[in-house]
Amino acid sequence: MENKKLTQAQMDTKWTELGDFFRRKSIWMLMYCTGCCAIELPQAMTSAYDMERLGMGPMATPRQADVLLITGYLSLKTLRRLVYTYEQMSEPKYVVAFGPCVINGGIYHDSHAVLNRLDHYLPIDVYISGCMPNPESVMNGFTDLMDLIKNKTAVGWKNYRDNNEWYKKNQMDALGEVFVHDEFHE
Amino acid sequence: MMNSMNNQALVSELENRFSLLNVDLVSESQVAIDISNNDVHTVLAYLKSLGWKQLSMLTNVDWIEEGKYQLVYIIFNWDNPIYIQVRTKIERENPVFRTVTSVYPGAKYYERDVHEFFGVKFEGNPDSEKQLFLENWDDLPPLRKDFDAKAYSDRKYAKREYTKDFSNKGGKK
Repeated sequence: MENKKLTQAQMDTKWTELGDFFRRKSIWMLMYCTGCCAIELPQAMTSAYDMERLGMGPMATPRQADVLLITGYLSLKTLRRLVYTYEQMSEPKYVVAFGPCVINGGIYHDSHAVLNRLDHYLPIDVYISGCMPNPESVMNGFTDLMDLIKNKTAVGWKNYRDNNEWYKKNQMDALGEVFVHDEFHE
Repeated sequence: MMNSMNNQALVSELENRFSLLNVDLVSESQVAIDISNNDVHTVLAYLKSLGWKQLSMLTNVDWIEEGKYQLVYIIFNWDNPIYIQVRTKIERENPVFRTVTSVYPGAKYYERDVHEFFGVKFEGNPDSEKQLFLENWDDLPPLRKDFDAKAYSDRKYAKREYTKDFSNKGGKK
């Protein structure tokens, strides 16, 4: 029998593929319930649509979560906390954004407080459309995310690492500083 | 006795003691009174002694054509469910008012809120100029009527470009 030795790169690919298989079968969500779309998550998670049959569950801390859900409009103040949260998550990490507000501001497009397009500040893997998206679309969005992981196209976290300067510049332009001042804890 | 008072009895009680500029009996459970700036603290202290112990809300209305701001103190009594709005008008340019934290300590945060969104300064409340909701705000207070939120948003936030095509192609691209 021929003893075929794989190169390191081939081994890495195989491990990544194996990892991706398990990763897409076991997605832990960090729900950042910023806006009204969060109200669609209870139906999707509980017995009506039962997200757990896809292998998804809620997670309490960013460091242990795989996917960050941004449910709705995102204000300037929230973005600061969101950047903190996103950067705490361990790689690979994915972002699912709900509703039109994260795409173009939605009905808050002319507000002084709400950001218009989130993909300038954080990499988004899946957008779920609808104001608000119904639970079917929410579930569909998650199966889309699983397909993206399978096809190796959920690479937002790599983009964030590669284009970090561009993201950081956009964050600074909108926020002035990313640091969070909190008078109750200072 | 005070806790069984209906809104009309309450208003006549107030009219006997203070000079009210205007009275609105909004509903059975809501009364609005307009008073002069100097009466605000005495009226609020008096109403608090009658049982209107909770400051539910302090907000501000921008009457831009009149050149006035209107401070609205909404107070609530847990034993006699009548909301009272105590309203007073102040100048819109360089708006300054005296704090009511001596009567309602909870006004501390509402005054910060009003300062942030309308720019009203509250004398006697050292915290009133600290930021509360907005962080690093760099423009006019955003709830003033002359603040253009759309222009601010256009200037500050990246926009998505579209090509608009409303022609119906029957679902084909």
